[in-house]
Amino acid sequence: MVKKINTQEFEQEAMKDAAAVVDFNATWCGPCRMLAPVLEGLSEKYAGKASFYSVDVDESPELAMQYRVSSVPCLVLLKNGEAADQSIGFRPEPQLAAWIDGNLK
Amino acid sequence: MERFDIAIIGTGPAGVSAALTAKNRNKSILLLGSRQMSGKVAKAHEIRNYPGLPFIRGEDLAAAFRDQLERMEIPVTEKRIGAVYAMGDFFALQAGEEMLEARTVILATGVVTAKPLPGEEALLGRGVSYCATCDAPLYRGRRAAVIGYSAREEAEAAFLSNVCSKVVYFPVYPEETDLPAAVEVIREKPEEILKTESGLAVRTGTGEYSADGVFVLREAVAPAQLVPGLETDGAHVKVNRRMETNLPGVFACGDLAGTPYQYVKAAGEGNVAAISAAAYIERQEKEGGKNNG
Repeated sequence: MVKKINTQEFEQEAMKDAAAVVDFNATWCGPCRMLAPVLEGLSEKYAGKASFYSVDVDESPELAMQYRVSSVPCLVLLKNGEAADQSIGFRPEPQLAAWIDGNLK
Repeated sequence: MERFDIAIIGTGPAGVSAALTAKNRNKSILLLGSRQMSGKVAKAHEIRNYPGLPFIRGEDLAAAFRDQLERMEIPVTEKRIGAVYAMGDFFALQAGEEMLEARTVILATGVVTAKPLPGEEALLGRGVSYCATCDAPLYRGRRAAVIGYSAREEAEAAFLSNVCSKVVYFPVYPEETDLPAAVEVIREKPEEILKTESGLAVRTGTGEYSADGVFVLREAVAPAQLVPGLETDGAHVKVNRRMETNLPGVFACGDLAGTPYQYVKAAGEGNVAAISAAAYIERQEKEGGKNNG
């Protein structure tokens, strides 16, 4: 499951996970809507290995600023609360899985 | 919503040939393009090496394409596709606000000749954007630079001026601009997009203009932008002899798949792409049947 979170929950949850994929998105963004079901599928596949979160950049602009999100969708991969990598735009599921695997190694 | 077996993007010889073959294989087809067929074909003075149609004029060949599609009952859908998303077992094709669905996609768009500006690709998503209406809200109250390659893009600059604190517009075409007063028009040719300490900058022959976001708006969309995740080689899409790309279910043919840029070669590749797409669908159906049984 991809959990929708705000700034406070981000600090309490995503920052504390060993590995987390945070999807910065917006309701007005077409590619974001297409990426959401792909991430939902990945979150099942990576259950127990990485947690998945969704952040609306309009609701949490401070988080978007902090992680220098200048285009959505933007995925930030956190390892123990530290931003390890960023992926911009829509990508097909196998390519995102390879990106996550590369970062979890 | 109807999910087509094969969506074909492009109505030049490659796309038309793919559509005819797909129809022969009893697949449902969504042929996207223009009822004028291909501008390139229509403008060709005389084609001497198309077997069976000696010395045919380009416009006659385009008319013959149209006639053959009509007789095979293949309609042309005149919609511009902005993006193709691989959703797993199907593809979503974005046409404006609308989403169309297909199980496979054949790309037959022809080649894009536009070369990116230095810095453009490296900074894409890091301040450089190709869609003002998509990313504008991220630049609320900040400075935007817009590089427009046709007068059509002026609407995007006008839209940005409602959201951003400042908008500078670089028209890369000779016509007069028609823009709100809030948009500053700079008649200088952009040569590079740079990363600076305060954000980005557009460098022209004579000056440097800083901005938080740079929007590069061209008529033609590069293949890797059209289909996120698609592997390309310069202006071409990487394919094998079966016209398969790196994305399962996506095929490319015609000029887009590489040189030589020949009508006959394009038609031949369209035929191969359609046969490969049909085989892919049949394989998927067999596998689906196995999983269910």
